Amino acid sequence: MIDPSIVRPEIALDDFLPIFISSALVLVFGGIYVGIYTAVKVKLLKPWTMTIAYSFWMLTAYCLYLMGSLMHVGDFTAKALVVAAIGLLLLPYAVYYMQNQVHEENEH
Amino acid sequence: MANNHLTSESKQLATWYFTFAAILFGAQLLFGLVAAIQYVMPGFLYGILDFSIARILHINALVVWMVFAMFGSVYWLLPDETGIETVGIKIGKLLFWIFAAAIVVVVLVYLFIQVGPADATTIWFITEGREYIEAPRWADWGIVVVALGFVANLFLTGIKGRQSGIVTVLMADMIAFAGLYLAGMFFTDNITIDQYWWWWVIHLWVEATWEVFVGAIAAYGLITMIGAHRKVVEMWLWIEVAMLFGSGILGLGHHYFWIGTPEYWWEIGALFSALEPLPLVAMFIHVLYDWGKTQGAEMADEHTDEAHVKSVITNKPAFTWFVLNAFGNFLGAGIWGFFHTLPQVNLYTHGTQFTSAHGHLAFFGAYATILVGMMYIAVQGTNGIKVMKHTKASLWGVSLITGGVVGMTVALTIAGYVQVLVSRAQMGATWAAYFDGQSGLWFAQAMDWRLIMGTVTFLGFLFLAKDLLTTGKNPVHER
Repeated sequence: MIDPSIVRPEIALDDFLPIFISSALVLVFGGIYVGIYTAVKVKLLKPWTMTIAYSFWMLTAYCLYLMGSLMHVGDFTAKALVVAAIGLLLLPYAVYYMQNQVHEENEH
Repeated sequence: MANNHLTSESKQLATWYFTFAAILFGAQLLFGLVAAIQYVMPGFLYGILDFSIARILHINALVVWMVFAMFGSVYWLLPDETGIETVGIKIGKLLFWIFAAAIVVVVLVYLFIQVGPADATTIWFITEGREYIEAPRWADWGIVVVALGFVANLFLTGIKGRQSGIVTVLMADMIAFAGLYLAGMFFTDNITIDQYWWWWVIHLWVEATWEVFVGAIAAYGLITMIGAHRKVVEMWLWIEVAMLFGSGILGLGHHYFWIGTPEYWWEIGALFSALEPLPLVAMFIHVLYDWGKTQGAEMADEHTDEAHVKSVITNKPAFTWFVLNAFGNFLGAGIWGFFHTLPQVNLYTHGTQFTSAHGHLAFFGAYATILVGMMYIAVQGTNGIKVMKHTKASLWGVSLITGGVVGMTVALTIAGYVQVLVSRAQMGATWAAYFDGQSGLWFAQAMDWRLIMGTVTFLGFLFLAKDLLTTGKNPVHER
């Protein structure tokens, strides 16, 4: 069954700007989240700033929700956006873990 | 570029590729300026160099200079990575001249012949007519021969020399890069099927094989410029390859939303497009991680405070361009791509200046930056410089080019937004709607700003060219 919101999205005229801004902020906030996370892990920032990192992830998730709501996405796309939000949350953990393991194996 | 410090013919060939690439980069910007002027003054060069021809030259020069610089980058790093001279280097040199001569002939045909009859002679001798890869068919076959020779050089050297993760990734990537070009070399009568295959070249180049290429070059750059740990960098490279191919190959679906392909592409495109920014974010983490670790180790060794610690960077201009690559890839390919990657909103943005804004920032951020960085690495090696520093010209070059491209992107985004609202949402994508959108004040002013910022970019290129030609002899560097 084709998602009807794709064939005829019916986006309100006033909603285009919030859609573009929120979709840009998804990656801006997401980038700040992974940036702070990585900087804390490599000791360029103090550990307490990790709280700020998670706050930015929450903003990222909110922007994804806002963007999807304004676009009136269907079930499938909504699930894809949730997967993307969770992926972004876990990404720096996975990347840092793998990089660190390789560092440990090769430097000790 | 003087060659007195080069010990390898492969590196010498690389400097030829970089030099020709830089010339084409200038041509790309020049014809882009002509096209930008024509948006503001439609009569400019009318009947001599029409917009359609200036645009062909602008976008094809873009693709070709990047391919030249990519080949140059591979010929530059091969001796370092494998420990031997490139196998079949004489053939490599011959192929360079064939490639360069073919490009000159194609450009002259675009400039002086321009159009032909609606039959096969035009396809064979003037243009095939599909944007980005408009070279006539004889040149297509020439490109295939050159690409096969290049891939043979790479494979034979990679097999004979020292095994390196970077070269192994490049071997796999370049065979895909060359093979995918074949998908753009035949026509079908059905425009949907034709576009279906054409996207195999365009999307699978820029969002798969070219991105993997950038990962490999970034790995080489991090090892040579900041002394990053090879095993860490190479392990990371494999993760990037998996993530980029994992999301990038089926991300192809976002080009198939509205061209008549089966409906399942909407869902495939939506899912994988939503995931496509993740590797770009991960690449950003990678640069930060490696720089943080290496600089952190240096600070620990020196037992000194942050203000007095010695930098681990051995080539400041190149490293600046590499860092710009991490940000630019994230901004241009990531943010400006994610803007309009879901089908619900892509219905409105498809084919507007949004696409152009995305194209400008993504090609610059993801590819131009790192390739210019490689040119600086070649200048450093060619002139026997131990630590290369910024000059006034290098700072002006990078600042003006970056500022200019970002300015053009903002202007084109505003123009695209006007088109989305007026031409698509309000007036329903009719013929009249297209012209109404184009004649609005906001659109017209955005085009003025695009021209101004394009001029700024070109001025930056002049500084960059001056710096690349003269910085090798500048006494400011440590030798």
